[in-house]
Amino acid sequence: MTFTLSDPTWYPIASSEDLPFRHVYQGQLLGRELAVWRADDGNVNVWENRCLHRGVRLSIGINEGAELKCQYHGWRYANRSAGCTYIPAHPADAPARRIQNRTYPVREAYGLIWSAANDEQPFRPFPGAEDKDWLPLRPMPVNAEPEDVLAALARLDQYADILPGLSIRSGNVIWFVQPVDAGRAVIRGLLADQPAEPLAELRRYNELLTGLRDRLERAATRKPAPAPLQPIFEKVSADLATMPEIAIPRGNTMTVVVKRKWQSADGVIGFELAARQGHLPTFQPGAHIDVHLPNGMTRQYSITNGPGDLMSYVIGVKAESAGKGGSKVLVETVREGDLLAISEPRNNFPLRRDATRTVLIAGGIGITPLLSMARFLDKSSLPYELHYFVRSGEQAAFRDQLEALHGKVIIHQGLPRDEIAATIATSLGEWSMAQHVYVCGPSAMLESVRATAAAQGWPDEAIHFEYFKNDKVIDNSSSFEIELARSAMTLHVPAGKTILEIMREAGLTVPSSCEQGACGTCLTTVIEGEIDHQDVYLNNSEKASNACMMTCVSRAKSARLVLDI
Amino acid sequence: MTITLYDFELSGNCYKLRLLMSILKLRYDIVPVDFFPGRQHKADWFLKLNPFGQLPVLRDGDLTLSDSGAILAYLAKQYDETGLWFPDDPAITAQVLRWHAVGDDITSTASAARLALGFDYDFNIEKAQKSAHRIFRIMDEHLWFGEREGRDWLCSPAHPTTADIACFPYVMLSEEGGISRQDYPALRRWTDRVRRIPGFVVMSGIFPAGRALEQA
Ligand code: FES
Repeated sequence: MTFTLSDPTWYPIASSEDLPFRHVYQGQLLGRELAVWRADDGNVNVWENRCLHRGVRLSIGINEGAELKCQYHGWRYANRSAGCTYIPAHPADAPARRIQNRTYPVREAYGLIWSAANDEQPFRPFPGAEDKDWLPLRPMPVNAEPEDVLAALARLDQYADILPGLSIRSGNVIWFVQPVDAGRAVIRGLLADQPAEPLAELRRYNELLTGLRDRLERAATRKPAPAPLQPIFEKVSADLATMPEIAIPRGNTMTVVVKRKWQSADGVIGFELAARQGHLPTFQPGAHIDVHLPNGMTRQYSITNGPGDLMSYVIGVKAESAGKGGSKVLVETVREGDLLAISEPRNNFPLRRDATRTVLIAGGIGITPLLSMARFLDKSSLPYELHYFVRSGEQAAFRDQLEALHGKVIIHQGLPRDEIAATIATSLGEWSMAQHVYVCGPSAMLESVRATAAAQGWPDEAIHFEYFKNDKVIDNSSSFEIELARSAMTLHVPAGKTILEIMREAGLTVPSSCEQGACGTCLTTVIEGEIDHQDVYLNNSEKASNACMMTCVSRAKSARLVLDI
Repeated sequence: MTITLYDFELSGNCYKLRLLMSILKLRYDIVPVDFFPGRQHKADWFLKLNPFGQLPVLRDGDLTLSDSGAILAYLAKQYDETGLWFPDDPAITAQVLRWHAVGDDITSTASAARLALGFDYDFNIEKAQKSAHRIFRIMDEHLWFGEREGRDWLCSPAHPTTADIACFPYVMLSEEGGISRQDYPALRRWTDRVRRIPGFVVMSGIFPAGRALEQA
């Protein structure tokens, strides 16, 4: 038998005890190097041992408990999905959400970690596996061909049974040969039932295997070494790694189950949305999902989860808004066990991870994206302060989650308006290099933070907002021409219609989400013409640059706009 | 009294002293010695300090000391008030010195392979790599059974000693000499533990480990 890269057999690749928390184990199976690590939730990840960035080994990376960080370039990959959550050199620190490391199937059973080169076969226990309590012996790496190792093990006991998958049963021991490469193997033994003196037994078997290894390696030097298997490392395509900053097209929807619905605080309903199978996609701190509601509406909600927390997304919905719009349906009619369609997570509110000081300011339901950011900063031991303003009579939502944080978390309850402003001013302080503030809350609060920060020397780039909605009245009385440079089309936009609507009528597919100038999904580059911005998404300097706009609300002050579409 | 270290940034032996002095929170001055490519450790002025022509050299007041293992012992006995880094117990002293010697063996194998590959030294690379693997196999076995017996470090006390520092750098730098540590999982786990010692410092090629999981 010669080994192939595509052999679908499940082999043991490590012992459970090889994977203490916050360690990355370096393994290999059929020529492929593996980075194997246990996350703090107990899940074991078996990944190709290469960071997608420059091919650096992930086995020298840092296991942060929920994400694995590449030691050299800082790329981070999430537990379970292996989705990249951070690319330091990216303009928005934001990865294209589909970049993910290659993963291999994994199973932890009988004190061993099992994996296979592909998903073709389901994992099956070895014969007699279930009714015993197995003790793994010390593994013994051998520089010899896997079949030779198997043959030598078989010679140890003439009554041994050869089992499928390079394994042998000999008395109360089962031997597995892990094919590391064409010329290398690891012997992994399982002893049935705990011996009276485990340590002495472990030493005895270790001695036996050491002798066997030395004999095998001496024999191996007498014959030509087989050529190592040559796995291929796939590179990330350039367009994925350099995906545009904001205008990410809408991904497909997926179905989630409402696993839990509860009252998180006065006026805030929590929803836990779980995948029907496995885990959900990787997201970044500050990201949101579009929830498709039973009445046909779409609403955006921030994910409150911490890093690598992919078994379900937790969102918060303000009950007060139940009077109108989409949230009413969620609060009133959606029950536990119901199914909902949601979009892939998208991030319009990227968190910089290179700040020396991060100030998070939340008002009311605005806590949701900031909770996710705080959890990330907390896990990464980065300095942050979270100020959460709630009105009198209202309680703080997600209180347990906030209390679990180690950073500076201050809940300001029932402050009068002028005191809120003063508190914001003192918590911000004077700006200095590499400080950033993130704000999410009612528009009055956002404006107050914006003004206070500017007065205290904070530049626009250091102030980050997330608007949930655009409260401004949109003036759509103008009419003008748009020229679509890439599509070679000229269209007329009459009063009362948006650019987005006109483009769609002309048969173009253009992404949008909130359609009120708040989310940034429809961001478009403007090549020529004077823009009448009416959105709340862009900041003042971005607006002044006259280089981009939201096609859902913005219009032209000039007779013509040339768009990069 | 001022401590002065004659140091080459990329030398694992010099790093051992920087590491222990950082752990013991000692202040010291550095005199850089251009080991490569300048070969200043063979210059006359340096040979007066250390006729063996080897880095590191440490001066503490009027004392001039050489040999990283000897200096580790000196620093621990002189400045470590806890007495943990070089314990007084005779049996443990013997263990520590045993591993200091292993540290030297790792230098003459793993580090020699690194010097040959990265610094153009004329050593027999294959022989150096083979010998390093032989030592790593022994260490991995020692550490694996140590974990079963509740011992996290090279010597028997429940805390690290200078033995762990003496063996650590050239184990960590072994890949630069073409010596993979894939076959030594227990050795790899031990390097994580060393990198979590409070006061740990980095050098080029030796990174910190992530934070340990805090037990709630
Ligand atoms: S669709 Fe949200 S800003 Fe235009």
